[in-house]
Amino acid sequence: MAIHSRKDWYELTRTTNWTPSYVTEEELFPEQMSGHMGIPLENWEGYDEPYKTSYPEYVNIQREKDAGAYSVKAALERARIYENSDPGWISILKAHYGAIAVGEYAAVTGEGRMARFSKAPGNRNMAAFGMMDELRHGQIQLFFPHEYCKKDRQFDWAWRAYHSNEWAAIAARHFFDDIITGRDAISVAIMLTFSFETGFTNMQFLGLAADAADAGDYTFANLISSIQTDESRHAQQGGPALKILIENGKKEEAQKKVDMAIWRAWRLFAVLTGPIMDYYTPLESRHQSFKEFMYEWIVGQFERSLIDLGLDKPWYWDLFLKDIDELHHSYHMGVWYWRATAWWNPAAGVTPEERDWLEEKYPGWNKRWGQCWDVITENVINDNMELVSPETLPTVCNMSQIPLVGIPGADWDVKVFSLEHNGRLYHFGSEVDRWVFQQDPVQYQNHMNFVDRFLAGEIQPMNLEGALKYMGFQSVEEMGDDAHHFAWAEKCKPTIKKSA
Amino acid sequence: MSAFPLHAAFEKDFLVQLIVVDVNDSMDQVAEKVAYHCVNRRVKPHDGIMRVRRHQGTELLPRNMTIAESGLKPTEVIDVVYE
Repeated sequence: MAIHSRKDWYELTRTTNWTPSYVTEEELFPEQMSGHMGIPLENWEGYDEPYKTSYPEYVNIQREKDAGAYSVKAALERARIYENSDPGWISILKAHYGAIAVGEYAAVTGEGRMARFSKAPGNRNMAAFGMMDELRHGQIQLFFPHEYCKKDRQFDWAWRAYHSNEWAAIAARHFFDDIITGRDAISVAIMLTFSFETGFTNMQFLGLAADAADAGDYTFANLISSIQTDESRHAQQGGPALKILIENGKKEEAQKKVDMAIWRAWRLFAVLTGPIMDYYTPLESRHQSFKEFMYEWIVGQFERSLIDLGLDKPWYWDLFLKDIDELHHSYHMGVWYWRATAWWNPAAGVTPEERDWLEEKYPGWNKRWGQCWDVITENVINDNMELVSPETLPTVCNMSQIPLVGIPGADWDVKVFSLEHNGRLYHFGSEVDRWVFQQDPVQYQNHMNFVDRFLAGEIQPMNLEGALKYMGFQSVEEMGDDAHHFAWAEKCKPTIKKSA
Repeated sequence: MSAFPLHAAFEKDFLVQLIVVDVNDSMDQVAEKVAYHCVNRRVKPHDGIMRVRRHQGTELLPRNMTIAESGLKPTEVIDVVYE
């Protein structure tokens, strides 16, 4: 007997809602876990997932993807990427794996929540595949860096980062706990799949894949492109959920979740991907600037998606566009200056040629960030190394968990947005971060950021040494240092007057 | 002697930092303690008197006023700017 084609049976087989008789609908789908906003079961049956697949199809395709990624890795092992690549590129690999791999595993929980608690059968079906996607992403992004552990202990942070109290790990955990593990099924569909995966994984996985290929790291390019094919599928769970909410009069609630998650995702990617694209990637391998990539892949895409769904652009859109020009330059300077607190070696990326590129892509860069880098560069050239490392902690945002920064130099503009809530003083890096807190204070109010923990005496001894120990660094080799051992400063000598 | 944590932004620097001062420090001493973590590190030395103000405030706090007298709260944000 011939096998029927999927379209002949898909709708029937995935229509798995039924009328519960032993428990109430609310007991089967509790609001706290489901997030259905009081919309009844039958209304969720209109959820129409744009990407339909069956289990046999899924398994076949995934098997091919895995076989492709693993065989490219095996074939290129002799390419000696670790030995032959620019150190800036190796830092990108370390930052990526530490920030992403175990977070993918957390996403299994989010997909699992949708698979069990979403009232929409199509969402539950897609999420079952999504769970397996995220499991694959967690495993493959732990396996690939593992071969480097014997050469470089920082690669061990691919697994360790999320299990540590390193500041970037706290930031990533705070965000993913907020949009994945600490939310109901429909919030996960909106905040993880629509707001985060639709836009921002494109940036990390597509933008970085292009740079990887240019840098000659075809193994990594192939790996993350393979992952992105899954992301682009399971990211489509949020759109139909939003459509159901809007049709049932819940636009305002849906819009709020979208607005909160887009902003939070933006801030995390600005600290992770911004420096990678505009500073760590060797100049000759840069495909697009971070800003160009943001406009092409994120800004335009979100604007179209939001309008298509009947949502509005977030109220802070103008602030977001301004941030794209500015934020990651300051984040980069902070990560580089506090580099001992990173599990990768930040590349300064400020040779004269690179500064010309930055000025071209971001007019005004030299009179802003360039002024600070002038002082840093002079110190390196004159061997005043005690002045190119910190002796205190940066103040950290109570939402993003990332240092509070602004524009330095001639256009100095550093603004903190504070809030006194239940007798505690909170500080935020932007008006939007504070707004996010105000939307759901119970979700956020008890979290202690790194500086809060320091001031509460949780970090001992109360100095940088104690902070590094608290972050989980086991040896000096694991702590970040300048990726090029300050060799870039040599190239700056003709332009920086030696003061000695 | 009693430690007093503040968060401080320094004119032309790119971030806000945790600075621990003493409740008996004058505003001039506070400015010096903040400057230690900024000037010659990321900010060029500058002629002029460094003054303390509440973050984004318009009034400069008197130079000899102490932290104890200022009414500043622990972990409040201040700016250090050149007069």
